[in-house]
Amino acid sequence: MSIKLGFKKSSIAFTALLLSIGMTAQAGVVYDYIKNNNELMIATDANWAPFSYINDAGEMEGFDVDVGREIAKRMGVEARFITPDWGVITAGNWNMRWDVSVGSMTPTEGRSKVLNFPAVYYYTPAAFAVHTDSPVTTLAGLNGKNICTTASSTWEMYLEGSLDMLNAPAFTYKVTPGTITALADGHTCLDDTRLGAGVRNDGIIDSVPMIQGAIEDGYPIKFLGDPAFYEPLSVATDKGNSDAELDAEIARIILEMQKDYTLTSLSMKWFKNADGSSNDYTVAY
Amino acid sequence: MANNIKMQTNSEDKPIISLKSVSKWYEDFQALKNIDLEIKLKEKIVICGPSGSGKSTLIRCLNRLEAHQEGQITVTGIELHERMKDIDTVRQDIGMVFQSFNLFPHLTVLENCMAGPNWVRGIDQNEAKERAMALLKQVKIPEQADKYPEQLSGGQQQRVAIARSLCMQPKVMLFDEPTSALDPEMVSEVLDTMVELAESGMTMICVTHEMGFAKQVADRIIFMDEGEIVEQNTPEEFFNNPKNNRTKAFLDQVLS
Amino acid sequence: MFVDTVVEDKALHKPAFLFGLSIAVLAIFFTFNFTNTIFGEFLSPVIGNPEKSGFFGRLAVSFVLTILFVANLLLISFARLKIQILIVWIELFLLFLAFAYSFDLEIAYIFSGQPSKIGLMISKGLFTTIYISAVSILIATAIAIVGAIAKLSNNGFAYAIASFYTSLFRGLPLLLQIYLIYMGLPQLGFMIDAIPSGIAALSLCYGAYMTEIFRAGIQSIPKGQWEASRALGFPFGLILRKIILPQSIPLIIPPTGNQFIAMLKDSSLVSVLGIWEIMFLAKKLGAKDFNHLEMLLTAAMIYWLLTIILEMIQARIERKYQQKT
Repeated sequence: MSIKLGFKKSSIAFTALLLSIGMTAQAGVVYDYIKNNNELMIATDANWAPFSYINDAGEMEGFDVDVGREIAKRMGVEARFITPDWGVITAGNWNMRWDVSVGSMTPTEGRSKVLNFPAVYYYTPAAFAVHTDSPVTTLAGLNGKNICTTASSTWEMYLEGSLDMLNAPAFTYKVTPGTITALADGHTCLDDTRLGAGVRNDGIIDSVPMIQGAIEDGYPIKFLGDPAFYEPLSVATDKGNSDAELDAEIARIILEMQKDYTLTSLSMKWFKNADGSSNDYTVAY
Repeated sequence: MANNIKMQTNSEDKPIISLKSVSKWYEDFQALKNIDLEIKLKEKIVICGPSGSGKSTLIRCLNRLEAHQEGQITVTGIELHERMKDIDTVRQDIGMVFQSFNLFPHLTVLENCMAGPNWVRGIDQNEAKERAMALLKQVKIPEQADKYPEQLSGGQQQRVAIARSLCMQPKVMLFDEPTSALDPEMVSEVLDTMVELAESGMTMICVTHEMGFAKQVADRIIFMDEGEIVEQNTPEEFFNNPKNNRTKAFLDQVLS
Repeated sequence: MFVDTVVEDKALHKPAFLFGLSIAVLAIFFTFNFTNTIFGEFLSPVIGNPEKSGFFGRLAVSFVLTILFVANLLLISFARLKIQILIVWIELFLLFLAFAYSFDLEIAYIFSGQPSKIGLMISKGLFTTIYISAVSILIATAIAIVGAIAKLSNNGFAYAIASFYTSLFRGLPLLLQIYLIYMGLPQLGFMIDAIPSGIAALSLCYGAYMTEIFRAGIQSIPKGQWEASRALGFPFGLILRKIILPQSIPLIIPPTGNQFIAMLKDSSLVSVLGIWEIMFLAKKLGAKDFNHLEMLLTAAMIYWLLTIILEMIQARIERKYQQKT
């Protein structure tokens, strides 16, 4: 018994649904599907240069995109990218709309209820930034102030003091904000900061490469203090359709890419500083 | 039994429409009270009476545009009731002309006349068109065939409406105050058409205040008031020798 | 609107009104203080350094602006009606451009790249937006016809289902419906992709609004039309198809056109599902180099232009139906 709606993967999704109702995650279903279809469907938000974004030719590009392509290549299948909103990806229950997320997702306690994290592939530092005219000079100076960041991100969790990262380097909460302004699109925070110190927010927290990009683009902002924490960033798969074989394969490929320095060279390619030097974010500090 | 045999032998006299103690209410208001009436084939009936007397309601019950609650209405041998499946067959045999014409404004005059035969009776386009043109000639407006209703005068529209009904080749024609919405100078052209129709032998039931028409055409005049048939008679008797006081009062008003 | 045959003097040509207006405009310009803008610089030969000109500078700038503004109004008031409309349109548009220009934008960014950003938005996004809207309006129309008939019927089930449907889908925000269909339906085993989800949400939402439009259109056909058809022995379906709907269409088309224009803009909400339509591309293309406002303005212009074209088409269709009836 299966319902054919004429949409891709519907019957498989239905089978998978029956399985998940029975609470029996069957190894190999998703991976077999990828192999049979010769296509790895990769979800990644297109909002984040240099991680994943739409280039001038109208195609997906960036560090995450390259990593995703490499994973597909080593599986021996084609890569295909789709670009749902970040919130839709982190909500889980993908129902086989796509197979994996290669989108710089930090494994957390909460997310692990709906997602599996088979392999961490790099670490990025998260840092605070303020307007160049800001009177605030130390991280402690941001206590009680209005901090802006992306909604349902690890940065928001950090501000709330509820960051439950898995397998992460140790960190401490250095700032206790008075108000958290959480916006669906974190870019708006940067634009708000540009309006002036204290106009719409007193500061932001975001990933270092992101803030770096904004500064290079002429935004009147500056880093404040050292990075607040390093977050591990992982490939994610759907817990609703757990496939141990797929997870093992991803873990194997990422380990291989670490060993042959593919990840390092990709990091050096995409994460450049203003002075032209490159960053290797593939090891935790 | 004797009665029965008589009806079988005299099928010409068998009524085409018969009402037996028919009553109708609008909520608490009783619009028709125990109406008994028989109409024979080829008979011409004029129904008159003051406004609100129930005459329009009565005629609208005959093709079940309105429902009666008590009594029996039988039309062309079929009893009208709320569970009947073949009401459309009955209606196809009964033409109706309305006070406000009710032509289809998005169709030409010709299409108005062809609609019934072509869509409902399943007669093919050419034959329906021929029939429509013949009837438009009969009501003397064949030259308007390709115009839209709103381009016609009221009198012309009402004649189209008559032609439209006749295209279905009905056994009975109902007229519900056909001249009341017309400018005075157009009344006669519609009445002339109706007189011609009467002379051709059509069974007609007309609700109208045109007493001249009634005198000229009617076999029987029915006077209604407050939902009842107060008096019915031949035109001579009705106009010259009214029996009921309400009839007298009504005639005084309309004839003065 | 009905214009009376009696002509009154134009208010602008009455000295008292003109004086009052000037005072009010002066007050507004003074309050908003344009001294530190391009106008202040322009007047610097008179008032000196704008930043240090103080009260006198502020008053002088306001005064000049007021004279320009009122003189402009006065001049336009002498033109013929059509010219007036044209000039006011152009002036408002220039003001809008000035407003956008004041954001200090990098307009060249919109045309940068090969193909250009705006080219990408048109070649990829515009088609998707129009495709989604067009398919949705077709499905919504079909839903609306069925819904309207159900709402007008005596069948309890049909009425209940139709009224529940219109109530629910008019009562929920469209964005919520999009999420419910995209994320909720798969839980029931109905796996639908992003674009079908978006189309389903738009169709269902606008189908609900259009059900009411169609219902009103059908109801506004006089009862006599039903009675005449009934008296001729037409069955129900035939009456609806041949008599009622053809007459309702001219009444239904103008509000349906409005719905289509509204839907075109609401289709931007499906960008949350990662569909590469105009809004999605505007957000993401701008995100790469932090040129958000440039791309959002581009999207705004594309939507606006589309709407103007659709309004023109709609006016033409309306005229056609008016001639016929």
